[in-house]
This record gives sequence, structure tokens and C-alpha cells, in this order.
Amino acid sequence: MKSYFKKVSEYLFNSLESNEILILNFDAEQTDFVRFNHAKIRQAGNVDQATLTLSLVYKRKSLNSVIRLSLDYQKDSVLLLRTLYYLRREIPELPQDPYLMYERNLNSFDRETKNKSLDSFNITDSILQGCHSLDMVGILSTGAIMKGFSNSLGQFNWHESQSFNFDWSMYTDTGKAIKQNYSDQVWDQNIFSSLLEESKQKLQVIDNREQTIQPGEYRVYLSPSALNEIVDMLSWGGFSYKANKIGSSPLHLMMKGEKKLNKIVSFTEDLSNGISPKFHSDGFIKPDTTELIINGEYKSSLISPRSALEYSVNHNAAEYYESPVSINLKEGAINNDNILTTLKDGIYISNLWYLNFSDLNNGRITGLTRFGCFKVSNGEYQGPINTMRFDETVYNIFGDKLIGLTNNKQLLIDSSTYEERSTHSSTIPGAIVEDFKMTL
Amino acid sequence: MKDDFINHIKPLLPNVDYCSFRFVNKYTNIISATRSVIEPVIISEDDGLMVTVYNNGGCGYGATSNLTDGGILKAVKTAQKWAEFSENKLTYMPDLDSLKQQSGSYFTDDEENWSKISTKDKADYLMNVNKSLKSQPTISNWGASIRFNKLETLFIDTNDSYVRQKISYLLPQMVVSAEYKKEIQTRTYGGHAHARQVGYDFIDSINMTEHAKLLAEEAVELSRAPNCPDKITDAVIAPDQMILQIHESIGHPLELDRILGDERNYAGSSFVTPDMFGNYKYGSDILNVTFNPTLETELATYNFDDDGTNASKEYLIKEGVLIRPIGGLFSSQRMGLDHVACSRACNWNRPPIDRMGNINLEPGDHTFDDIIQSVDEGILLETNNSWSIDDKRNKFQFGCEKGTLIKNGKLSGIVKNPSYRGVTESFWNNLSKVGNHDTNRILGTSNCGKGEPNQTIFVGHSTPVCLFSNIDVFGGI
Repeated sequence: MKSYFKKVSEYLFNSLESNEILILNFDAEQTDFVRFNHAKIRQAGNVDQATLTLSLVYKRKSLNSVIRLSLDYQKDSVLLLRTLYYLRREIPELPQDPYLMYERNLNSFDRETKNKSLDSFNITDSILQGCHSLDMVGILSTGAIMKGFSNSLGQFNWHESQSFNFDWSMYTDTGKAIKQNYSDQVWDQNIFSSLLEESKQKLQVIDNREQTIQPGEYRVYLSPSALNEIVDMLSWGGFSYKANKIGSSPLHLMMKGEKKLNKIVSFTEDLSNGISPKFHSDGFIKPDTTELIINGEYKSSLISPRSALEYSVNHNAAEYYESPVSINLKEGAINNDNILTTLKDGIYISNLWYLNFSDLNNGRITGLTRFGCFKVSNGEYQGPINTMRFDETVYNIFGDKLIGLTNNKQLLIDSSTYEERSTHSSTIPGAIVEDFKMTL
Repeated sequence: MKDDFINHIKPLLPNVDYCSFRFVNKYTNIISATRSVIEPVIISEDDGLMVTVYNNGGCGYGATSNLTDGGILKAVKTAQKWAEFSENKLTYMPDLDSLKQQSGSYFTDDEENWSKISTKDKADYLMNVNKSLKSQPTISNWGASIRFNKLETLFIDTNDSYVRQKISYLLPQMVVSAEYKKEIQTRTYGGHAHARQVGYDFIDSINMTEHAKLLAEEAVELSRAPNCPDKITDAVIAPDQMILQIHESIGHPLELDRILGDERNYAGSSFVTPDMFGNYKYGSDILNVTFNPTLETELATYNFDDDGTNASKEYLIKEGVLIRPIGGLFSSQRMGLDHVACSRACNWNRPPIDRMGNINLEPGDHTFDDIIQSVDEGILLETNNSWSIDDKRNKFQFGCEKGTLIKNGKLSGIVKNPSYRGVTESFWNNLSKVGNHDTNRILGTSNCGKGEPNQTIFVGHSTPVCLFSNIDVFGGI
């Protein structure tokens, strides 16, 4: 695939006229998707897709076209040349773009993770056998993801990896459920078996009598997965330079110095795990780490090249949407083995669902409990709770009401597959928070 | 897609129990002006094919963007391989005899005039709209865009079916925020829900430039307005909030694949159970909701779904009683219920699943003035800006951009951050008045997310203004 991208890049660059610059972004995946319900196959198949985004730059103007490739050179070369001609014809009509910025230095590199190819049929068989007689529902995605960048100035970047992501839940006869995820580059049957065993044990606990919770304030444990849902909401503009400037950020009061978080809270954008590509769609190389919030204080934002020009600041190679792709929340001091005793009386929340802002200005978020949520009394599980709605501000959750963070962080690889498989991830500990408001 | 292409690829259909080819060609063009600067224009062209094979009790698909003979044959082989592997391992094997030969077409009734207007003219227009949006000094952010989408599908199968459809739609959007004492309030053009199967003339007819001024004034007014009070009260809900209410608490819970459990790992299930159809009182007697793929210009109007099933208008809820789910041919077979043509895929690279099409609340006979005058104390809620509902589609909480208090039958001052919460099972029984045709709006959203692998699809909702009693309304901090 890399050589194909090189070949079409060369072909297009050779077709440029003087004063034209062409920037190319390549996205491809070859993915087997197996969807399960009731521990059987609901839908299964393969998606083979590749896309090339052409950005033509001419006299400080730019125009983009996203083309689905057939990967048949004869067919693609005709389509791509036609597209280039179209962009060339249209671009003079457009106004100059005052925020146009692309990398002029050459920072070529290649990151290709070579591992034994994954056998989706074998993995599916393992799953079907392991989950036999259980009410399992979920999705398995396996295969290669490839991303490339090239420009007519001579830069070439490549990112390729093979991976799988099995995201599933298991239900009891009474409709209670727990959720699990196993994602990696190599399928290890032993790891899967132990996760499955863990699932089965949790299912037994969750099958106890439901504990009805009333609206009110509760001490809660938020698992890494549950806390990640809240961090995801912060990512809706919270770390974006532009969103903070225009006031559409839930953290704009914090950036303006009016609010602070608890001193134990430190967020960093950390690309060192290699899951996301390190190159920007305009060719800039992203730093390994960017400190966002350190010891409860707003340190810096994610700044795209466009925002940098608009607000006359330096950029840090963030994409135009300026939200984290690999966020890391620093671990705390609560020993993972002591979560229940530290929580003592409250609610153990494994998963939150369907979050949204209920007061964006003040960072207030609403959402619901979902999989694996238990009432805990005197440090012991009492049983699953009814679905509850919460409404709480990030300044409480990560501020005065934060009792502590756990000392173990969890790598959460995004299982999202809108348009294409995600390369986002987060590394998050659990948290214990008091006076967490349940409203319905 | 020319006829000679169809004749060429027909022989590539394999000799199996059943196979379909679904070709999709998708074109997108988005032009935006933000803070009075034209953003990079986006043009996207996408071509691909999904091959679906049923054979010997198994089913599989192969999806490819390689539309050469070699590419198609490879996708056929992949689909056959998965069909073979899944033999006797499927959650459900459909009754293939129920699949009949289908032929027909559907084309959006517009003059395809998007391409006749130059990019420069569209950009100039949006720059003018930006000027109107930035019409007040305290406006802190503003922007406008127009999105054009064209989706052409060709469906053929081993039953000799031949279905060709072309849906094109426009989505005009505006956003404007005003700041006052670090309080930021935002108004949008209908919560980005004005997507419809219309031509470029529609843009002229809605006069975005004039509308922009009104939105800017409202954003400024909201930034200085008091918070919405917390109380149980009557709520008059405008169409640009009703769309979300219908979508989340009628559309999604009635999707049959949720009821059958397919979505339990992601989008969730439903409080609706199979025994409720035909007898469950979903709402008050004046609640009438249809699956209506026939309403002209509505976003999900079509003649066939993506499994090639013929589409028609059907009642989902009649006089408050739940009649049928939103289930495609195969899902309905799984439960022994009547189907609607709702098996839809967002593109060639995703398999069809049960989706909303146009889910409409049928108009009643009250004018807007009748409804307001009937309220002693209440609130008018406009334009959705926040939505959240549990995985069984029961406990919901929605936020709106603008609230207007109602006192003694009159509108009496706006409030910011209005939200309301409730439970689906009781909420629709509080429906006390339904607006007439004059209050009705045809709206649509292009980003309904669901499915594993994930899909976003466009859905339409046509709805009048409605009045609900005893609603738990509250404001911000």
C-alpha cells in the first residue's frame, strides 16, 4: 500500500504546474468486521477501502478534494488527474486564505509495525467457543490501518499497523450487563480467556437483587472507562485554543484563570504509545507530549496551525479540531486493591453513557449509568443499581469533590468505527468523587 | 451508472442461494465561512460496492472501492468466504423466499442546480451571511455553511431486481454566539436540523442573511437574560426541539433491532417489548406518528430501502396506541411482525440495519396562538442544543437554546439555559395539544449514529408545535 501511495504521489507531483503545491493525505484500512448477538454471528464481512485527500495550494489559496481510491492504478490515475484539473480550474475563483499554513521543512519518517497477520476466522472461532451458552453481544474489528502524508516539497510520512479490537457486553437473564474490551496487535488466547473468566465472575455479582437508588448526592467510584467518558466531554473544546477564545469550551473559565481543578489533576496529550500517527495533515510533526493541565492549572491548549495564524501564537501541530487523540491523566495514590474500602459507602460505576453538556459555560455535564454499576456498603458490593441520570460539573468532579485517583492507569483504545477505524486512545486511572449528583 | 455497466456486472453475481450488489456513489460539497473567512472548501467523491451473499445457512459481505472486474470478483469471494464460515453460526437466517424481485427508481425532485452556482457565488453569499451574523459588537463567534450531498445507489440481485435511486439534499447552517460578563450564549439555525431534499432555490427562499440578523439579536438578548427557573410547568415545544424529542424517545425505542438485542453493546436496547405492539398506550389520544417515506422534500423520502424493499407510509402510533416497530423485512421476520422499508446503510462500506427514515408526528388542529393562549403559566422551548437519554430510551434530558416564559396566555420574556427532563413512558401521555399544519415544519438531521461497525445516517422528522403538561423544567448554574 505504501508503494502505491508513493506511486500516485509521484504521478500527481509530476503533473503540477509552477507555483502549485500539492499536499496529499492517504487513509486506508482492510478490516474484517464480525458483529455478534446472543453469542452468534449477526453480520460478518470485510471492508477494503482507501481514500486520498488532495489539497492544492496556489497563490495563498487552497482547495481540497477527498477521493475514494480503487487501488487500480490505471483507474485511479485518470480520476486523480481529472480531480487535479478540477481543483486547478476552481482555485483562482477563491479568496486567499489568511490562515493557510503547511509544513515547508522536510520531516520524513516511516512507522510500520510488522507483526504476524491476524486471522479473523480463528479469532471469531475462539470468541464463539468461549462465549458459548452466554448472552454475548459485541463487535470484532481486525486488520490493517494505513495512513500516509506526502507533499510536492518532498516530505513523505507513513504509519501502518495491524490490530484488533473486540468490544463486547454480556447480559444476565434479568437484563443486567457488564462490558469488556480486548484490543492489541497480537491475539493472546490466555489473555482473552482470563478476561472472559473475569466477565463471568462479574456477571454473577451483577445478577444479585437490584438496589434502587433515589436522586441525591453519592460518593462514587468512576472506573477508568467511566472517567474517560467525562474526559471525552472535556475534549469537546476544553483543550482547544480556538474554542477557549470564542467561549465554546467547557473550560473557558479555567483558561481565563477563574477556575482551578484539584492539584492532583494533570492532563497531557501523549503520543508516545504510537497508536496515533505523529504527523499532522499539513505535514507538521506532532510533539511526543503536550502539557494541557498540570497540578490543577490550565497550562496550554492544543493549537492548530490555522488558530496559530488567526491568534498570532505558536502552534503545536494539533489538527483543526484541536482535541486530544491520545490523552493521559496522571495516576493518583489510591491503591487499586483498596478501591472498595476507600469508597466505603457509595456507588461503583463501571460505565457512563450518552453524556452531554447541561450548562456548557459552567462545565456541567449530564449522562447516565450503564454497564456494571453497583451499590457498595461498608466496602462490599450490595448489588446492581437501577439506571440513574447524573448532572455534575467538571469543576466538582476534578476539583474540590475529587477524593483521589487510583494508582493504576488503563490504556483505552477507542473502538469507534465511524467512516473508518479510530486511531485514538486514552490512558486514564479511576477516581473517587464525593457528592456526585444523581437527578433522575 | 450507465446501463452498459449494469449489463457488464450482472454476470458477476455468483451462483448462490441469494446475492445482491449495492453500488453507492456519494458526492459531498461543503462551503463554510467562519468569522468572516472562507474555510477550506471540501469536495468529496466516493464510489464503492457491497456484495452480500446468503448461502447454505450462512451470510457474509464484501465491500470494496475497487470497481474493476477483479475488484468486484474479489469482494464476491470475500462475501462467499464469510457466508461459508458463518454457516449455522448466525443469530438468525432469513427466509430467502420472502425476497421478491423489485424494480423501480427514485430521484429527488430538484433541478440539480447545485453545480450551476459557482463556488465563488456561494462563498460570497456566505460572507454576506457572516456580515449579518456579526451585526452586534458583543458577538464573539459566528459562522455559516451550506452542505450539499448526493447519494446514488444501484441495487441488483439474483432475483433479477433492479433499483436505482438518487437522493440529493442541502443543509444550510448558521451559528452565532454573544458574550456578556463572561456568559456566552449561542443561537443556531434550527439546531442544524434544516436538511431537506431541495435544490439551491431553497437557500434563496429561507433568506439566510435576514435570518442571521434575528439570530444575532437573540444571542445578545440571551446573554443578558436570566436563567430558566426550576419548576414543574406546561411546556410548548417548537418543531426544532420536537425533532429531537421524537427522534430519541419514539424513533430509537421503536427500532426493532434494538428490541431484538443487536444494539445492546453500543446504541442500547429499548423499554419497548414485543408484547406491547397493538395495545400499549404510548401517549395521549392525540399522538399520531408515522413512518413516512413519501413526504416530498423530507430528508429520508425514497421508494426502496437498502435491502430493496418497497417503501410506503405506515402508522407507528395511532391515537396514542403503539401499532408497529421500525423494523426491516428480515428483523420483522425474526419477530413475526409487519415490516417497514427501513433497512438502511450509510454507505457502500456498511451493511444495512434498522434505521429511522422519516418519522413524523402528524399535525392536529390548534393554531400557535390557540396553544399559547391556553397556557396560564409555562414556557416555550426552542432549538435543541443538548440531548441525553438512557440505553433503553426512557430517562431523557434535553437542553434548548432559547426559552420564553408564558404567563396568562402571553409570551413574556426570554430565559437562558432552559432544559427539561422526563421519562418516555409517561412523557407522551402528557401531550395535551398538537399544532395544526401552519405550525408544522419539515426538518431533518444528517448525523444519526448507530450500529457496529458505526454508521451515521440522515433521517427526517416533520412535526408541528406541541403542548405538554407537568414538565420538569430547569436552568443553568
